[in-house]
Amino acid sequence: MINSMQATISLSIVEKNGASRNRTIAMTSKSFPGGVEKRLIKFLEPADVRGTAMLIIDNKDVSDEIWIYLPALKRTRRISSSENSRSFMSSEFSNADMGSPTLSDFRSRHLEGSGTNNRWIIESIPADEDKADEYGYSRKVSYVSMDKYQVSKMDFYNFDGEHFKTIEIKEFHPMAEGKHMVSRMLATNLIRGRKSEIVFDNISDNVKVEDSFFTVQNLER
Amino acid sequence: MTNFVIKYRWLIISLSIIAGISMGILIPSSETDPEIRNAIPAHMQSRIETDKIEKEFGVQDMVMLLFTDSMILTPDNLKNIRDIDRAIAKLTGVTNRISPFTVKEIKSSYDMMVADPLIKRIPEDNESIEKLKTGILSNNFARDIVISSDLTTAAITATINTSERESVTLGKIDSLISTYQADEKVLKGGLPYIRRHIMDDVKHDGVFLVPMALIIMLVVLKLSLGQWKSVFMPFSVVLLSTLISMGLIPLLGWKLSIISLLAPIILIAVANNYGIYLVARYQELRMKDDISSNADLIRELMRSLSMPILFSGLTTIAGILGLLTHSIIPAKQGGVLAATGVSAALFMSLTYIPALIYLRGKNGKGIKPARITTAGFRKLLGGLSGLVVNHPGKIIAGALLLTLVISSGITLLKIETNQEYFFPKNNPVRVASKMINEKFGGSQTVSVMIAGDIKDPVVMKGIDSLTRQLEKNDGVGQVFSISQAVREMSKAIYSDGEDEYDKIPDSRESIAQMFELYNMSGDPDDFSQMMNLDNTKAHILIKLSDPSAGVIKDVRAEIENITSGFPADITIGGYAIIMAEMARSLIKGQVRSLAFALVAVLLLLTIIFRSLRGGLIGIIPLASSVLILFGFMGFTGIKIDSATALLSSIMIGVGVDFTIQYIWSFHNHRRHGLSYEESTRAALTIIGRSIIINAFTVMAGFLPLVFSGFMSIRFFGYLVIISIGSCLFGALVLIPAIIMKFRPGFLDRDFIKNKHSKYEKRDHNVNVSTAAFTGLRPAAGCRPDTEPVA
Repeated sequence: MINSMQATISLSIVEKNGASRNRTIAMTSKSFPGGVEKRLIKFLEPADVRGTAMLIIDNKDVSDEIWIYLPALKRTRRISSSENSRSFMSSEFSNADMGSPTLSDFRSRHLEGSGTNNRWIIESIPADEDKADEYGYSRKVSYVSMDKYQVSKMDFYNFDGEHFKTIEIKEFHPMAEGKHMVSRMLATNLIRGRKSEIVFDNISDNVKVEDSFFTVQNLER
Repeated sequence: MTNFVIKYRWLIISLSIIAGISMGILIPSSETDPEIRNAIPAHMQSRIETDKIEKEFGVQDMVMLLFTDSMILTPDNLKNIRDIDRAIAKLTGVTNRISPFTVKEIKSSYDMMVADPLIKRIPEDNESIEKLKTGILSNNFARDIVISSDLTTAAITATINTSERESVTLGKIDSLISTYQADEKVLKGGLPYIRRHIMDDVKHDGVFLVPMALIIMLVVLKLSLGQWKSVFMPFSVVLLSTLISMGLIPLLGWKLSIISLLAPIILIAVANNYGIYLVARYQELRMKDDISSNADLIRELMRSLSMPILFSGLTTIAGILGLLTHSIIPAKQGGVLAATGVSAALFMSLTYIPALIYLRGKNGKGIKPARITTAGFRKLLGGLSGLVVNHPGKIIAGALLLTLVISSGITLLKIETNQEYFFPKNNPVRVASKMINEKFGGSQTVSVMIAGDIKDPVVMKGIDSLTRQLEKNDGVGQVFSISQAVREMSKAIYSDGEDEYDKIPDSRESIAQMFELYNMSGDPDDFSQMMNLDNTKAHILIKLSDPSAGVIKDVRAEIENITSGFPADITIGGYAIIMAEMARSLIKGQVRSLAFALVAVLLLLTIIFRSLRGGLIGIIPLASSVLILFGFMGFTGIKIDSATALLSSIMIGVGVDFTIQYIWSFHNHRRHGLSYEESTRAALTIIGRSIIINAFTVMAGFLPLVFSGFMSIRFFGYLVIISIGSCLFGALVLIPAIIMKFRPGFLDRDFIKNKHSKYEKRDHNVNVSTAAFTGLRPAAGCRPDTEPVA
């Protein structure tokens, strides 16, 4: 379990026609008792949103709380908690893609060819229609290396059975206790032709950070 | 020419059949293009501008599904609509959709900006339903967008993408609706459905109308020519020339459209004429004892008919080629197809039919008499010729007055480019379009793209000002822009009473941070139709409840006026703008094609009659018919559209034949020494009959058009009958009266070098004026045919 972590995150979204949007944010996260995780995000780039800050309180059993401070408007507002299928910061990543999946939400099995060429090929199908609606896909196929237990690629299929999105894990960052964290991944929406890449830099784990850092008041500082 | 035909008869027949079949084989590979915007050349401004906008914001063609009931907000109705909406969301071919279940309510609640669905749960009790009603009526993103103000209709608007064939996506939507539909009535509208109906109707018309026209023509030919063997010759020319013409569509990479359907009908109506003249004359000649060989028969046939048929064909082609001056692509293509078909028919009539006649020869079974009796004609034309001879001045004055009165309707003439009006009033697409226009702001759109720094408050305020101003314009149903979303967000962030509430912020950072706030909770596609990803381009979508040319013009002027000082580039496009340019092109094309056809026909008539005066007299009935046609259209409310715009050129091309026939015949009688009065009586009695039959044959050929699935093609069918009738009147009443009154000198000179054949000299038959243009054997008892000319 990583207690706290800091990183600089670059998120770039590139449209089919080449238009792009880039965001650089600094994230600090810390685990709290009761399975609660709190994250404080500060926007660094672009200049017109610099100073914008978000506090995300990831509760285990109740809805998440999200607060955002907008310095130009001098307002702090809560925003509604997101569904798993909803886009992460308007990128091709969903909120579910940003965390670990809940295994019980899926029925999984090995596909043909799994266990050869140093990889497992695992199909995950949402356990029921509600879960399918929640996650926003009908089927996922993950490619996992057998020696490192690391996912290298995930293919997502829509409700027409069409392969609509691929997430490729490009880099892992070594963390404490021999664990690894995804530090670069690329999501490609095959239907919209849009790509989103997220890169974690300057990763430090188990940093010292006060509990009071994760408060609404601190957002506005 | 005659020797060539005789020598290479088998080659001519073989090549004609091979050409027809080879081109005919290509026809099944023709594709249909229901997209009316492709009627405008890609280099035209409205296409360029629209393409620029669509490249950035995607095609704005939307499917609209309307669910109607006396009260649409019932739990059962809403459940059905939700199920259909959910299922549509999962379709690959659908990019975005707006429905009662996707519309967001942006509001401030306990310091929280909420962008939640308008309907989170289906309301089950009266209190919840009343709450939902209030929510809908107060939500600018819901009222008259997803639910009508009278709460009787709900709409799902889906943007179709190109990841799968549009027809496949529409098929899936239809299937979903039939699966889930319950009590509510469902109407399907929007351009994709209009396109599908056009595709279906083009296919239906092609399968139904062309065979019907062929059968009608077969009956007419049988009545005219008596024998099936005689019928085969002109009918095979019709078939082969139609195959050649229609085979050009796939060969040239063109696509079938509503307009290209007219080409085979024009050919069926027109292409048999030359063959009828030849076969009728052949039937006559083979009865003569002094023609001893097949070669003599062909020589006499060609001598007497090749020139008038050539003139007749060339003037028809010249009239039709007027369509090439149109900037509307289907009009040009229709002109090429019809002109090619008529050229092929003309060429085959002068080579292939004589070759067949040569093979059939002089011998054979006796000729069955044609079934059209002559007594009625003689009586009618005798009376008419008496009238013309005795009262030419009154006839001219009457015709002038009639033309002036009817042509005054031109001031009422309107242009129509709206595809919705292609369909009859009770057609489901037309019904859906009417409801969309009345309750949901309209299905036709104008798009404005603003390229610049969209987060700049000056630009955003400009967008806001334009949006609010356009909303007040007559004929504008709804306007969608990013500024409305910014205002809604300001309402969620600030409290009512604060200065910033319901305002566009004054700083770039404030606007940027509002978007960032929305990005955290909204869907990335929520704004994709209004603003691009890097906020360098914005899109204002204006829905027109009245997509008339005047409204489009006003909207465009308003946009140009308001955006004149914008610190951004403005592009104005969209389907309605394309249609407005198409309307302008139709007017220009109409004038140009008309002028071209009249001038070309004037030149040809001048050459044929060797007199400019003769040419001018020849185009009088055509010009008069054009005025009458447009005047009639004005009075009856039939609008100029992409089909009816073709009418005047075709009318000139076909109608000029009647004039040539009459003047040619009159001239021959004069050359044989008859007085003006005698020539008028003789020409009207003999050639008048054939002109009438010819005109009615053409009308019969066009008749199936009145059974078309498209209103504009139906109108074309009605109008062509009126036009031909008008040309007929011109040729048989007005031209004889003018000639009688003014006695132009060109009629006393030779048109062509006179080469009387030995057969003509012997029986003193007037060569061309007898069977030449009659299509039937000459009426017995008529003086020029029966009595030697002194």
